[in-house]
Amino acid sequence: MKDGKLVLLGVTQEQHPERCRLFAQWKQFEWPILHDPINVLESTAVPIVVALDEHGIVRSTRPNPKTFEADFLNKSFADDAKNKPERLGPSHPPKFDALKADAEKTKSAAAWRQYGDALVLWGSEKQLPTAIAAYREATKAKPDDGAAWFRLGVCFRRRSETSARHTDDFRAAVEAWGTALDLDPNQYIWRRRIQQYGPRLDKPYPFYDWVAEAEAAVRKRGETPVILPVRPDGAEIAQPSKVFAAQKDVPKNPDPKGKITRDKGSVSCEVVVVPVAVKPGQSARIHLTFRLAPKTTDHWNNEAEPLRVWIDPPDGIVASQQLVEAEKPKAATSTEGRTVGFEVQILKDASGTIHIPVYALYHVCDDAQGQCRFRRLDVSVQLKVK
Amino acid sequence: MSRSHLFPLALALCAVSSGRLGAAPPGVGERHPDFTLADIANDKPVSLSDFRGKKVLLIQFASW
Repeated sequence: MKDGKLVLLGVTQEQHPERCRLFAQWKQFEWPILHDPINVLESTAVPIVVALDEHGIVRSTRPNPKTFEADFLNKSFADDAKNKPERLGPSHPPKFDALKADAEKTKSAAAWRQYGDALVLWGSEKQLPTAIAAYREATKAKPDDGAAWFRLGVCFRRRSETSARHTDDFRAAVEAWGTALDLDPNQYIWRRRIQQYGPRLDKPYPFYDWVAEAEAAVRKRGETPVILPVRPDGAEIAQPSKVFAAQKDVPKNPDPKGKITRDKGSVSCEVVVVPVAVKPGQSARIHLTFRLAPKTTDHWNNEAEPLRVWIDPPDGIVASQQLVEAEKPKAATSTEGRTVGFEVQILKDASGTIHIPVYALYHVCDDAQGQCRFRRLDVSVQLKVK
Repeated sequence: MSRSHLFPLALALCAVSSGRLGAAPPGVGERHPDFTLADIANDKPVSLSDFRGKKVLLIQFASW
């Protein structure tokens, strides 16, 4: 603080640091906040407030405002730690070559994890594949290394948000996080990472619904809000709910007889189910991302109807909606990936894998020949039952 | 920020999110492990040991 006697130091446990920067800007925090996306500090809950003396020794794990000054701030402490100095996570500057050599020599999960940690925390985006490979080696060396599985998921999710994305990265992230949580169901940080993208019926709170309010408040102060390269959307801002909201009008199946021409490769759909598997009575959120085929001259026709998805849940399954529309930009044409989400709940006993019939309808145009097409894409959504 | 605002802030952070407490951190009397992470403001590395010689209130939290 201003007299220099006390330092406030924050550590944020979330995937996207810019969101915490916006939060800090909104709340006008003036103290350093460090980013721990892979839970190097091995926290199993947040928030945690710890008072450390001048020697780095913990003097209180639950500081009391009433006695803080007398018991801690104005007191002198001896350097009498009960334990030896330890370290969590890689040092800086990172010794990538030495860490890699150690991992290759010892082949231990811990060494591979240390190498991966250095790459994730201090490497470039181009080194993400190497970090993924390192964590994979860690999980091969020790299949029950939950921390390695969690970090693997963080890397997949991070890569899914870059131009170097692999088609199944988001799904791989959810599967890796699911494996980590199965190994340690009490790991709160890991659970929250999945719930961030999960269904409303399993959500403890809305996660990032405060973003719009924060940006408005910052602008009102005459400041420019921190830019969020990846804006929270869909599941990340959805309000928790005990039941699916009632639909005002029963939608009509736009193509009940399947007469609309099927797409032949101009659009693909990535399907991600969060969580990976559910028990009867539980729910899942389905994320569908539609992308135009690479290396083509196709674009979305935004002057026509928006992309629509029709969900036809089988017996024993209820869906939050039967007809979902994707948002479209104001520009007449665009080529971005389009994501829609909906949720499903298993009502009764079920087992194995449940197939949920889904199809999408959309308008795409070809720049080269100037032709526009209205197409249907049937999507395979598989819901695994625990 | 004045010291008198310190604990309302820490308590406010407790209100941002909540969970099972007390499982992971080192106990009273133990030296907290050192660590080095990037400052979200400028991506520069900051170590806990950088603050040796000063009292530190370490707050682990999330904006959700």
